[in-house]
Formats: sequence, C-alpha cells, structure tokens
Amino acid sequence: MNSQFSRRAFLGTAGSVGLSGWLRSFAAETTLDPRRKRSCIVLWMSGGPAQTDTFDPKPDHANGGPFKAVETAVPGIRIGEHLPKIAGHMKELAVIRSMKTKEGDHGRATFHLRTGNMPQGAIEFPTFGSLVSNERANPDSDLPAYVSITPRGLAPDSLSAGFLGPRHAPLIVGGRTTEVGLNEVADGGLRVENLARPGSVSKDQATERLELLRDMQTEFLSSRPGTGTKSHQSAYERASRLMSDSAAKAFDLGGEKQALREQYGSSTFGQGCLLARRLVERGVPFVEVGLGGWDTHDNNFKQVQSLCQTLDSAWAALMTDLKDRGLLDSTLVVWMGEFGRTPGINPRQGRDHYPNAWSMVLGGGGIKGGQVIGKTGKDGIDVEERPVSVPDLLATICGALGIDQQKQNMSNVSRPIRVVDPSGKPIREALT
Amino acid sequence: MRTVHLLSVLVLIAAVGSATAGSPDPQILADRIDQHLSARFKEEKAEPSGKADDAEFLRRAFLDIAGRIPAPCDVHEFLADSSPDKRRRLIDELLDSPRYATHFADVWRTQLIPEVLASAEARYFQPGFEAWLRQRLRAGVAYDAMVRELLTIPIAGVRQSPESVFRDPERPNPLAFFAVKDARPENLASTTTRMFLGIQIECAQCHNHPFARWSREQFWNQAAFFAGIEREGDGLFAPLSEDTERHDLMPTDGKKKVRALLLDGKEPAWKPKASPRAALADWVTSPENPYFARATVNRLWGNFFGIGIVEPVDDFNDENPPSHPELLDDLAKAFVESKFDVRHVIRGITLSKAYNRTSARTHPSQDDPRLFARMGLKGLTGEQFFDSLALATGYRDRVADRGAFGRNAGTPRERFLREFAPQGKPSAPETSILQALTMMNGPFVTAATNVEKSSTLKVVCELPGLTLNERLEALYVIALGRKPSDSELKKLEDYVARSESAEEPRRLSDVFWMLLNSAEFRLNH
Repeated sequence: MNSQFSRRAFLGTAGSVGLSGWLRSFAAETTLDPRRKRSCIVLWMSGGPAQTDTFDPKPDHANGGPFKAVETAVPGIRIGEHLPKIAGHMKELAVIRSMKTKEGDHGRATFHLRTGNMPQGAIEFPTFGSLVSNERANPDSDLPAYVSITPRGLAPDSLSAGFLGPRHAPLIVGGRTTEVGLNEVADGGLRVENLARPGSVSKDQATERLELLRDMQTEFLSSRPGTGTKSHQSAYERASRLMSDSAAKAFDLGGEKQALREQYGSSTFGQGCLLARRLVERGVPFVEVGLGGWDTHDNNFKQVQSLCQTLDSAWAALMTDLKDRGLLDSTLVVWMGEFGRTPGINPRQGRDHYPNAWSMVLGGGGIKGGQVIGKTGKDGIDVEERPVSVPDLLATICGALGIDQQKQNMSNVSRPIRVVDPSGKPIREALT
Repeated sequence: MRTVHLLSVLVLIAAVGSATAGSPDPQILADRIDQHLSARFKEEKAEPSGKADDAEFLRRAFLDIAGRIPAPCDVHEFLADSSPDKRRRLIDELLDSPRYATHFADVWRTQLIPEVLASAEARYFQPGFEAWLRQRLRAGVAYDAMVRELLTIPIAGVRQSPESVFRDPERPNPLAFFAVKDARPENLASTTTRMFLGIQIECAQCHNHPFARWSREQFWNQAAFFAGIEREGDGLFAPLSEDTERHDLMPTDGKKKVRALLLDGKEPAWKPKASPRAALADWVTSPENPYFARATVNRLWGNFFGIGIVEPVDDFNDENPPSHPELLDDLAKAFVESKFDVRHVIRGITLSKAYNRTSARTHPSQDDPRLFARMGLKGLTGEQFFDSLALATGYRDRVADRGAFGRNAGTPRERFLREFAPQGKPSAPETSILQALTMMNGPFVTAATNVEKSSTLKVVCELPGLTLNERLEALYVIALGRKPSDSELKKLEDYVARSESAEEPRRLSDVFWMLLNSAEFRLNH
C-alpha cells in the first residue's frame, strides 16, 4: 500500500479546491489526456420498451397504434413523436431495429442482455459493467469503476460481478428511491447507501476510529498475507476514499447550475443522467442509469408517452452536456431494455413481451451516428435485414470501448470464459 | 457403597468399549493425514507453521462446526481448561450440538441449491429444504442414506394429478431440490454428478470437450434418469409428476433419443415400477463407487481448509490431479469404513496437526496453499458472519419481524445475508466497498457501537469495579474470542487516555467499532 496515499484517504484530508474553476480545468484535462479510454453510459429501460412507439414506428400499419412518426435531424430517419428532443440528436445516434433474441421472461432476458449468457450450471457470469470494470478500473481513482444508478427491478444476479469478485461489483446509488422532485433529489434521493457518516458520530471520531483500525490490525494483516486480508484492506481504503470530500462531491448534484438541472428534468432518472455525466467526467468507465415502468401490458400508449417525456429531456440533455464538455467522443451512450414489445396491440391497449424483433440505440463515442441498422417488416413482427444477437451487440459495445472481446477471464468453475461469447460479431458499420 | 461405585465404573467402561468398537478412532485418521502432508513437506523442503494457540483454534472450530464465533463463556472456559484432550472434547461437543445441524444444513444447502442466492422465488424453498437437512443431520443419518433419500424422493403425482412441490414453507421439503432446478433433467443430472461425484459433466451438454473424458452422449445418459419428471405448468411452484417407465429422452437439438446409462457405461438392473432415479442413487452411493466417497471427503476437506485436495472441489478430471492422491484415498477409505459418517471425517480432520496450525505465516514455504503448511484464511458465509455479529452485539431477531413464509425479508439478518453472501473462492474471500460502508456507517453497527443503544457496550462500560484493562479485554473476548496482547493493551490505553475519563465509554465504543470492522473479525483464520 502506498502509505502517503492511503493516509490521505483514511484521514479524508484531500485538499478541496474551489468548485467552478476546478470543474472546467478538470474537464479539459480529462478530455485532452490521450491515455483516456472511452467510458460507457447505459440507459437501462427496465421492463422492455415498445419499439413500435419509440424507434421503429409503423404509422402505416394497424400495429403502429396512435403515435405519429416524426422527422429527425437526419433526413429519412423517422422515430416516434414523443421523443422530439432526441430526434434532434440523430446525427450522433445509430438505431438498431433488428435485435433478435430468444428470452421473453424479464429475469432471464435481463440476465442474458446484461451478461451475454444464459444461466449455465454453477457459472457465476459477471454483468457487463463488471467486465468493463475488470478491464478499466483505475487503482488510483477514489471512485469505483462501475456505478449503477437506481437499478430498480434488477435481480441480484443481473447486478453481480460474478466470478470477477466483489472488487468489480457495482456501487449502487439510490437503489431504493422512488420518483422524487428536484429538491428532494438534491437532499439525497440519489445517494450511496451508508456513505454518509452516521449523525451520532462526529467527524473527528470517525477519523480516529479509522486510524485506530488501521493501527491495530497491522500485525494481523502482515502475518496473514493473501487475498482475504488484501481485499479487506482495499475495500476499507476504497470505501473511505469514497467518503472523502472530493469523491463525495462527485455525487453532490448541488454544484450544478439550476438551469442545467432543469434541462435534465426533475425526475430521478433525469438527475441520475446528470450524475452519470459527473461520474464519467471524473473517469468512471461504466455508469448505468435505470428507468423502470416499460412493462406496459395495459394502457401502453399513455404510459409510453409519459415515460418518453422523462426519457427525452434527460437523454437529450445528457447528449448536449457531454458534447458541450467535449466528452461525447469519449463516452459511448447505450439505450436498451431486456426485450421489445409485441407489434400487435392487446385488448387492454397494451403490448406484451417480444424478443423476436426489437430496437436499441447506440450513440456518442465510437459510433457512426445518423444511421439505422437492420429492418423489420411492415407489421414489425419479423426482422427482415441484419438480425443482431446479444453477443453481436456486446461485441459492438466492446468495439466502441476498445475492449478485447476475445479476452478470457478465469471463471469460478475454473474454465476460462471470454468477455463476449465467440459467436458475437461486432456490427462493423455502426463503429467509427 | 464401594461395590456400587465399582459397578458403575464397570458399566461405564463397557459403554465406552462398545462405542469405540462401533466407530473407528478418528485419531488414526488424523495421524494418516499428517503423515501424508509431512511427506510432502520433506519433498518440498517446506516448514509448516506452529500450533495455533487455544483461542485461535477455538474460534476456528466454532466457525467451522457451529457456524458462529464462540460466546465469551466458551472462551473463558476453554482457556481455563488445562486438560490435554480439551480440543478433542470441544470437537465432540460441537458435533453433538444443534448448531452443527444448523450450520451444516447451510453448508449443504448452499452446495445443493445455489439457486436461492440468485432468485427471490427460489428463496421460498430455502426454509423447508434446510429444515429437511437439519432433521437428517440431527438424527445422525449417514451421508449415503441422505443422498439416496434426496435423489429418490417419491414424486407421487401423475400427469392428470401432479404433486405439489410447496405446501408449507417451514415443513421439511427435499422436493425443493427438484423444484428450484426447474425439474429439468439436464439441471438435475449436472448437479448430481457435480455434487456427489465431483464430475462436471455439464460442459459436455452441448459438445464434446477435446480433453474431457466425458462425452455429450454420457451427459444425456445421466439426464435420462430424470426423464420421467414433468413439471405441469410454468414457474418454480408448478406441481410435478413422474412417469417411472421412462428411461430415455431426446437431447436438445438432438435427433435420436438417448437412454439412461450409468457413467461406467453399464445399464442398471431396472426394478419394475421403481423410478429410474433409484437405480442411479444406488450406484452413486455404493461403497464401490470410485467417485462418491472421494468427492465427498474432498468437499469436507475444502470446507475446513478453504481449498480442496482436488481444487475446485467439484472438478475431478485427469487434467486437474489431487495435490495429495494417497491422502484422498485414505480419507475416502475411512469415510466408507465409517459407513459414510461425515462426523467421523470431521473428527479426523479437526484432530490433525494440519487443522491445528496457526494461520500466521512463519516461513515463505507456507505460501503455496496446496501444501497445507499453514492454515489458510477462509471467508465467512453470510450466515456465519451475521450470526457472529449478532452474538457479539447481543442482537436477537424478533419474532414480530418475521415476514410471510418465514422469510424475514426485512430483518437485519436477511439484509446481511444478501449483502454479505460470499463471492469468489472460499480460500480467497473478498470484501466489497458497500460491505465496508455497511460495517463502517450502517445502522446496525452504528447502534451496536453506541453506548446508549448497545446493551453489550453498556455492560462493558458500566459494570462496577472493572479496570480499564479488564473492560478492553472483555471487548476483545466478545468480538475476537481472545485476550488482547500486552502491546495491544498498551496502545489502547493510550488511545482511551487521549480524552478525559468521562469520555471513557465513548472511547470504548471506538474500540468495539474497530474490532467489529477488523479483518480478524471478518475472516475465519
């Protein structure tokens, strides 16, 4: 352990710098750094968004429903009418309309999309964010390499670092929050559980406790070298670094201009997107933001319209904000859920689970924007051109992030497993 | 008077005599273990670490057999006992205690139905499955009989009226094993061969592996023993039926049906009307089966040392040889000779010098964990960790907190079990940031280390007539099961003396916080 560093971390005495000047220079520094690798922000649409009402409209077919299709910034590409702001960013986005998967059950499909695998015996597959963390974690950073913001509705196995171990598990932010207003969010709707020192313990006391812990267990740690002691030491060090003023500041949205916060929208999802930008700006390689409620078996259109409003402001603000700060080229933005929804409309004005032909969107860094990839038929029931599988999609994301999809990691069953299943072929035309 | 006394002595001798005649002496097994390990030390010029002191051994034995740390009275009693056979007596007492059944029900459940960790639905089956295991363990049912019962549990239902797999969550329920594996022949076959034979045949599910001894055909041969099981409907709770006449099945993506054949290539003698599972179970648990005893003792060894003689413990294959083949043979032989008495193997292991070594490193040659030259560090299961934490802090689950189906979904225990479920290898336990934050700042430890709220702290701080050193010692015994060393006492005295005496309780709460957050508390060492 670097004693200088850990002492600073343990004592929480990291120097604080004036916010405004610091932020600007920080952004400039990170984007100009040639060693900077691409980060990834995944907007995870839990429940499965209806492609027909968003990115694969069918206005000339009965399946299309009541929504119109509107022009985007790219002539010829039309999307659902309730995403007008995102339509303005089409030059930076590639829409994939030919996702073709097999699982129609939420849990299994989520696991499949997020790990690239179906459950297999005792193998503990890591979720994709953990795989990126494993490739990209910076040991000098006060922040973890994988942050998951409001991952509501996700089963533990879809948020697990699996055989990569807890070092690559996501740091979960605001896991239990419900939709709250802007001010409430500022007061802590989006926070890391147990990050704040308890009220009954003073700052000095907390510092003394940590010092005491460090001092008293030196002998035990040095007499028992190995993963167990090393990991314990590293977790406490990283946890206290996260508690440090500068890291905790990354989670403090209060420093953002009110106007910008409003652009993102007052939803937890919107503020979560803003938090995601703050984190990638500080070098966090993988951040996901969850937006639930897409499981629209009933009353699909009203619900989708409302969800789109939340989504449209937040996502468009994120694209603009990243661009303004020079971060868009170094940040891949992914929009997807676990599957799509039936092109046919059920008697309850709903759409049901549909993995056979659905849409997702890639944008920003590494992506050749302004195009549509793949095609479904007039009724939207089948993929007519260029079917894309889960491994294909993950291979494409690896391509954009510059991660070797062939790399093998040793699994818990002592069998090496590749980052992406070897069947995965990246969508070349989507990549720059 | 004298005659009565003599008589009772004679009766006692007779009783002891018959007991030893019935079960083999575990010391013989312990000595065999150490002979095999010593032979390797010589070859490798390794220098094993010294004997663990009583406190280190006591904590380890409690965690490994009873699933939690010792209570302060256990520590004081054990440290004060000067008889030479106290470690052996401790092991016997622990193996006879209800905590053994509770802890080993957790251990076997984790291995048999790992699905409950990942799936909230599967967790409904956990209390019933554990209850079944506990009942069998308490009754001292031999391991082979337990496995036979599990594999052959009758599925009385037929297609028209299938049998329910879930009636009362608390009722002993071995059918959970079939239910959480979706009642699919592939899943049942791969768990059976992996768990009871140490063979990972599921890799052959899709294709033949170039180096593996097992073929795709053999995988489906095993699955065919479960072919008659049918789930009527979707979801884990759907009822089951079994057609016992069915001995074959169609592999996924296959063209030709595959019939049930044992791994030795032979067709079992089918009994009319009996489920094909009975034939499989008879072969699996037979004393002549070349895999069953080896796989089981290797798992047990892994449980006590963190690393198997074959490692991973369930991957026996030619490319993955045992570190000590003769030792594995001897352990397996002793297990068969004891009529598959798991406790006999545990006694042999825990009486060995190897298990009694300190985990402190005293020589670089001890760094190869597969030499067993020092005790390795092991992670704690969620249950071991929370039950130890609860004991140290004086916490009890309130019955009122129990949720539906006995799952206690909102209790601190349930939250800790989720958050502290072990990840990574048992011999390389890892701690996450969130786990550290939970222990540093979370409400449970915050209350437990608050003088006003913690009954444990209150007693330690306020019991009249104690010196500061005695109060510090009490905290060490409570949390770490040992007394502090002189140098530790010195440092802590200085720490407490930093503020005025009125602040002493607050300083003691810091010490307690430090102990609960230490690696020594978090790990089994």
